[in-house]
Amino acid sequence: MTLDTKRYVIGGLGALFLVSLVLVQWMETARRAEEVGLRRASVTPPASSAQCVDCHAQANPGIVQQWEGSTHAERGVGCTECHSSGEEDADGFSHYGQRIATIVTPRDCSRCHLTEGEEFAASHHSLAGNILASLDNFLAETVEGSRVPFRPHSPTPGRVVESVNGMASAFSGCQQCHGSKVALGSADGGMVTMDDLQPDETGRPTNLDAVARIARTNDGRPLLHAGTWPNTGIGRLNLDGSRGSCSACHSRHDFSPRRARQPETCGKCHLGPDHPQKEIYEASKHGIAYRDLRDQMQLDADEWVLGRDYAAAPTCATCHMSGNLRNGGRTTHDPGERISWTNRPPVSLVMDTDVDHAIVNATDPDERRRLTADTAMAKRGRMQEVCSHCHTSSYVTGFYQQYDEFVILYNEKFAKPGLAIMTALAEAGLRTPTEFDDELEWTWFYLWHHEGRRARHGASMMAPDYTHWHGMFEVAERFYMALIPQARELAEQAPAPAGAAVRAVIDEILDRPEHRWFDQGAEADAERIRLEMQRRYGGAAPSP
Amino acid sequence: MKRRRFLRRASHVAMATGLAGGYGALGLIAGRFLFPSDDRGRVWQYLVDVDRMAVGQSLSYRGPAGEAINVTRRGRGGGADDFVALSSTCPHLGCQVHWEPQNDRYFCPCHNGTFNAAGVATGGPPFDAGQDLPPYPLRVDSGLLFIEVPVDALAHLVSPVTSAPAAGTG
Amino acid sequence: MRVDGSAAWLARRILLSGNDLRELTNEPVPRHLKRWWFALGGTPAYLFVVQILTGLLLACYDQAAPATAYESVRQITEEIAYGWFIRGLHKWAATLMIAAVILHQMRVFFTGAYRAPRELNWVVGMGLLIATLLTGFTGYSLVFEQLSYWGATVGANIADTVPLVGGTLKRLLLGGAAYNEHTLSRFFVLHAAVLPLTIVVLVVVHVTLIRLQGVTELHFEREDPETPDTFNFFPDHLYTELIIGLMLMVVLSTLATISPVVMGPPADPLATPEIIKPEWFFYVAFRWLKLFGGTAAVLSMGLIVCTMVVWPAIDAWLRRHTRCEEASLWVGVVGVLAIIALTVWEAVVAH
Repeated sequence: MTLDTKRYVIGGLGALFLVSLVLVQWMETARRAEEVGLRRASVTPPASSAQCVDCHAQANPGIVQQWEGSTHAERGVGCTECHSSGEEDADGFSHYGQRIATIVTPRDCSRCHLTEGEEFAASHHSLAGNILASLDNFLAETVEGSRVPFRPHSPTPGRVVESVNGMASAFSGCQQCHGSKVALGSADGGMVTMDDLQPDETGRPTNLDAVARIARTNDGRPLLHAGTWPNTGIGRLNLDGSRGSCSACHSRHDFSPRRARQPETCGKCHLGPDHPQKEIYEASKHGIAYRDLRDQMQLDADEWVLGRDYAAAPTCATCHMSGNLRNGGRTTHDPGERISWTNRPPVSLVMDTDVDHAIVNATDPDERRRLTADTAMAKRGRMQEVCSHCHTSSYVTGFYQQYDEFVILYNEKFAKPGLAIMTALAEAGLRTPTEFDDELEWTWFYLWHHEGRRARHGASMMAPDYTHWHGMFEVAERFYMALIPQARELAEQAPAPAGAAVRAVIDEILDRPEHRWFDQGAEADAERIRLEMQRRYGGAAPSP
Repeated sequence: MKRRRFLRRASHVAMATGLAGGYGALGLIAGRFLFPSDDRGRVWQYLVDVDRMAVGQSLSYRGPAGEAINVTRRGRGGGADDFVALSSTCPHLGCQVHWEPQNDRYFCPCHNGTFNAAGVATGGPPFDAGQDLPPYPLRVDSGLLFIEVPVDALAHLVSPVTSAPAAGTG
Repeated sequence: MRVDGSAAWLARRILLSGNDLRELTNEPVPRHLKRWWFALGGTPAYLFVVQILTGLLLACYDQAAPATAYESVRQITEEIAYGWFIRGLHKWAATLMIAAVILHQMRVFFTGAYRAPRELNWVVGMGLLIATLLTGFTGYSLVFEQLSYWGATVGANIADTVPLVGGTLKRLLLGGAAYNEHTLSRFFVLHAAVLPLTIVVLVVVHVTLIRLQGVTELHFEREDPETPDTFNFFPDHLYTELIIGLMLMVVLSTLATISPVVMGPPADPLATPEIIKPEWFFYVAFRWLKLFGGTAAVLSMGLIVCTMVVWPAIDAWLRRHTRCEEASLWVGVVGVLAIIALTVWEAVVAH
C-alpha cells in the first residue's frame, strides 16, 4: 500500500468514525427525549419540613413515601405548608418547635386551591354533615344505637364492658361518609366542637371560654375526640368552621388526582341499598367500557380533559366533575353543577337553585324565575356537553326524554300518592310524630329511600335491572302490597271521622286511572293479553 | 507529474480532515460528558402566599440544594415582578451578604461589597468587577409565589431524603 | 522562517535537533510488519490509551463507596450526557484489550519470538497480561452490581485458599476480614492507579527492550528478494497504526452503540444470585476452580502461571536436551485448545 493510499484510507476511516459518532449523538438525543417524560423530579423536603421528614420517615415511613410520590413534594409543599396552625387555632399545638394541627381542613387546602375550595363549599357534598340533624341520623343514633350510653345487661367473656357507646353506629357508619362534627375532649369529659368555639371568618375561635375548656396533655397537645376523628367524611364539620374534607376523595398523603378520577373513590359512599350509584355505573355501558379499557384512560395525565386526553369511557368524575373539550377543560368541585333532577327526596325535584345553591321550592312560575340563580336546564346543558363528546344530540335528547318520563312516572304514580297517604295519616293522628315506631313508617322509608331511589338512579345512569327489578318493581310491590293495606288497616281501626278521612284519600288515589286496575281488576286487559298469546303461540295460554 | 502532486496534497488534506473530524467529534462528546447539564434538576418550589408578605418585607429561603436566597416584596401588586429573589452569596468570593435596612442595601462584610435592592453591585470589589447578586426566577400562580431553584447539589446527597427506613434501624 | 526560528529555539533548549528526533523515532521496521496481522502489537497499547482517557472521564463521576457506587454508575449510564457511550467505550475497550493481549501473546509464542535474547521481554509480557486481567477484575467490581460484589467475594476467598499467605492476601485485598466499607476504595485505587501505573512501567520496559533488541524478523516464502528487509517507522508504519486505531474506534463506538452497557441488579450481600459468572476472560479459571476445587485448583493454577512465566527457559532446555524441536509448538496448541475448551464449557452451562 502506498503512502498516499494509506492517507486516503485514514481519511476515509476518520469519516466513518465520525459517522458512527453521529449515530451516537442521535441515540443520545432520543434517550434524553425519553428521559424528560420518565424522570421523576427530585424530591427534597423544604427546609421547614426537613425535620418532620427525618422523624416520620422512621415512625411512619408510609406517610413520607406517599408524600414523596406526590405533586406536592415535587413543588416544594412539605409538611408544615398544610399542617401549620395559627397561634389561636383551637387544635393547634407546639410540636418540636413548630405550631401544627393534626387535621387539615378545606380552609387549609383553600389557601392554595382557592377555586376548588369555593366550588366545593357551594356543593351539596359540603353539606353532607347536615345529616347530623336529620332523619337518617335518628336511625343511627336512636333506632340503631342510643343517644345516651347504657350499661351492658350481661357479661362479655374476656372483656370488661362497663358502658355501651350508643353513638358507635353513627361514628363508624353515617359519619364516615357524611362527616363528623370534629370535637376536642373537654376537661369535664365532654366535647368542644365548632358550635362551642364559634369560629370567625378566618377560622379562629371567638369563644375563649370554650377554648379554655379544652383538655390537653402535659405538653399542651389537645386531644381529639375519638368518635369524631379519624374521619374523612365529605361533609365534616371542622373546628375552624369550615365544612368538608378534601381527603375524602384526594386521599392523603399522595393526594393523587388519579385516584379521584376512578369510580372506586366515589364508591366508598355511593353504593348499597339506598343509592347504589357505583353498582348502577358498573352495570351500565359506561362502567363496562371503563372496566374493559381502563388502561386507555390516561389516569395519570396531568390534565385529564375528555375528548383530548382520553375518550375510552366515562367515570363518575368525567360526567359530574372533570373538564372536557366543550367546556374548555374546566373541572368543577361541585358535582351538582350538572345535575337536573334531585332524586334524593321522596319526590324528585327540579334542580332550579337559588343564589345559595338551595333548591327553589316556590310553585308560582314568576316567583320561581325570580328566585332561581341557576336553572335545572342550564345544569342539564352542562351535562349534555359531556354526553355530546360520544353521543349525537338526538341520542342525548332521546335519553333525557326517557329519563324525565321515568322520574315523572315514579313521582306521579307512587311518590306523591304515598306522601299524600302518609300526610293524611299524620293529620288524622293515626301515626305518631316519632319516625320508625310504626310498621307503615318503615314501609314508606323502604319505598322512597331505598327502592324509589334505586329506580330513579337506575334510570338516570342507564342500568335497566336497577331501574326495573331492583327499582320500580319493588316500589310497586311495596306500594300495593304493604303501604295500601297497612294504611287501610290503620284507617279501619281508627275512630270514624279520622278513619274516614284517610280512607277517602286512599280511595281517591286508587280510583285514578293508573291505579284502577288494583281494586277494580284489569280483566279486560288480561283477557286481551290471553287472546294475543294464544294467537301468537297457539294452545292454551298460561293462566296468570 | 502535476496530477500526482495534487493527489499527494489531497491525500494529506483527506487524512487531516478524517483525523480531525473523527477524534474531534469524540473530543466534543467527552467535553459534553464532563459539562454538567443546565436543564437537569431545577424545580419550581412553593415559597409563600403572596398575601402573607407585606411590601418591603423579606424572607430568607434555603433552596433544596442548600443555596441561601433572599426574597423581598418590592411592589404592591401581586405579580412576580413585585418580588425579587436574590442569592445571598456574594459573587466576589462567596461570603453571605445581609440586608441593611438603614442603608437600603445588601452588604458583604468580607470586602465591603454593597448591592442595591435589585441586587446590582454598587460598591466594593463586586462593583469593580461588575458582579451583581444572581437573581432566581419567580412565578405567581393563583396567589402563591413559586421560585425556581436547582435541586442537584451536595446538600441533597449528604442528607438524602429518601431515607427509606433501613431494616433494623428504628 | 518563523517556524524554523521557533524550531531552533526549541532545539537549543531540549538539546535535540529535528534530525536527532527523526533518528530516534525512525527505528527501521521489519518488512513482515507490512502484513497486517503482525501489526497488532500496538493494538493493546492503543486500547490502553483509550482506557486511560475514558477512565479519567468516568472517574469524574464515579463514587467508589458502597452507598454511592451503584447510584453513581447508574447516573453515568442513565442520566449524564453521553455517559452510556463513554462507559460503553470503556467496557468494550477493556474486552478488546484483553483479547488483543492474549492474541499478541499467542502470536509471540507460536512464532517463537520469546527465545533468546528476548526471554526477559516474555516475562515482562506475562506481567502485562496479569496486570491487565487484574485491572479487568477490579474494574467490574467498581460497578457494585451483584456480579461485582460476589465476584470480589469469590476472588478474595480464592486468594484465601493459598497456603500460608492466603489469609493475609485476602485481608489486604478486602481491607478487613470480609467485604466492608473500605473494600471498594481499595479496588478503586488498584483499578485507577496501581495497576495502570504498573502497566505503564511494564510497557515502557517492554518497548525499550524491543528497541534495544530489535523486532524479531520473520521471513516468508515467495518474498521478492529485491524489496528491502526493513521500512521506515515514520511515516509509513505510523500510518498503519493510525489506520488500526481508527478501525478500533469505529468498532468500539459501534459496539458501544449496538450493545450498550446496562445496569445489573445492585449488590445485595444477603442474596447470591442463582447464576453467577465472572467476565468471560475469567471463565477458564472459574471452570478450573469448579473442576478441582479449593487449594488444589489454586495451587495448580499458580503452577501453570509460573510455568508460563519461565517457559523460555523450559523451551531452551527442551531444545537442548530433546530431539523434538517443536515441543513448544505442541504444548502451545494443547494449552490453547484446553483454554478454549474450558471457556466454552463455562459459557454454555449454567452452573
